[in-house]
Amino acid sequence: MEKNILIINTIPNGEIFTKLKELLNGTQNNMDWVDASVFNISHCIGCNYCWLKNPGVCTIKDDYEILLKKMVHSDAMWVISETSFGFLSHPAKNIFDRIMPLVTMYLHFQDGEMRHVMRYQNKLDIGIIYSGEGNQEYLERWCKRTAINFGSQSLGVFSEDSIKEAVSCM
Amino acid sequence: MHVVIINGSPRTKKYSNTDKIIQAFGKGMIQSGATYELYSLSDRKEWEDAREAFYTHTRILIALPLYVECIPGLLLEFLETLHKKEENGTEISFILQSGFAEGCQLRCGEEFLKMLPGQLNCRYGGCLVKGDNFGIRIADDNQLEQILTPYEKMGELYGACGTFEFAEAKKFTGPEKFAFPIRILLAFLFKTVAKKKFIEAAKAWGCTQPLDDRPYAE
Ligand SMILES: Cc1cc2nc3c(=O)[nH]c(=O)nc-3n(C[C@H](O)[C@H](O)[C@H](O)COP(=O)(O)O)c2cc1C
Repeated sequence: MEKNILIINTIPNGEIFTKLKELLNGTQNNMDWVDASVFNISHCIGCNYCWLKNPGVCTIKDDYEILLKKMVHSDAMWVISETSFGFLSHPAKNIFDRIMPLVTMYLHFQDGEMRHVMRYQNKLDIGIIYSGEGNQEYLERWCKRTAINFGSQSLGVFSEDSIKEAVSCM
Repeated sequence: MHVVIINGSPRTKKYSNTDKIIQAFGKGMIQSGATYELYSLSDRKEWEDAREAFYTHTRILIALPLYVECIPGLLLEFLETLHKKEENGTEISFILQSGFAEGCQLRCGEEFLKMLPGQLNCRYGGCLVKGDNFGIRIADDNQLEQILTPYEKMGELYGACGTFEFAEAKKFTGPEKFAFPIRILLAFLFKTVAKKKFIEAAKAWGCTQPLDDRPYAE
């Protein structure tokens, strides 16, 4: 079965998004391109309503719901981000913080560590492409840890200059 | 010693676990003769004063919940608005707290915090690391005291030296991972007692759906 790949851009007027589209032009028809840099997406306010009040639904009514619905039906998610302090910059981090509706309140152990039980059955692997001075080593560590939390795998972290390698991992 | 404390939680102060930890910690600090002022980033109206305090003072303590293995997007947004301090001599320490209980869950977030102060031309003053705090929000007074009293003690020690470079702070984290028999026991509790507690909490919040509902499945 072909993988459904979701590509989310968070860089305003970002060249990476355009370049990536050109590189992949026509080669894959299972890709969903979303330019979230023009979206209105708040930070997570930690209300926990998505676990305990309206399970699976975020109370903040903004454009994030578009992404959430796509994530449920995707096998991989690539987030394109600028960097701050060597890490993702806040618009991309907000996209990850707001992902909580995909997990439930319930807990279990996975590979010896506490985890939340996932809400849906799909396995959403995660990849990062960044511009600016990212701390490659730290971003890789973070991406691996984050994927573990969602019962999936890291597809890798790639700088703007190694975008072709990113494509080969899609 | 005077400390600027910044609560980096996006949750409003009234419901913030971090705020409750800061209150207990601050009580301990005051006992050792230190003073503090507090800014909560969940209220954007406090950002300007928090920035001003960061530039004016030399001892900063950022307390925050772990959000997806690192700092909350909102705290990151705030930090992005700061410029490097011009003068040397500022020290930033951290209280990092989280939901999952094992120390290993917070290490990736801690690693980021170790690198952060240098990028603002400040020194790193250590990090008090502890998980198992999700329950603060739904704890009764007894449980709350049990969770918060150790933070008061840490506040007293921090208030005396201004960093977390003391042995008790290192030990404060508790186990890095749970031993196998404890995991078996906890896994059982997750399926029974904890599950029931979550369902009850949800009911009290007016939830009418099952907690593992799938609103966006086909
Ligand atoms: C969006 C979000 C992401 C979180 N990510 C983690 C995590 O990666 N690991 C963890 O142990 N706890 C995580 N937590 C739990 C919080 O760190 C914990 O509940 C904390 O006590 C909240 O503090 P606050 O009330 O001051 O915001 C997360 C909570 C939220 C809302």
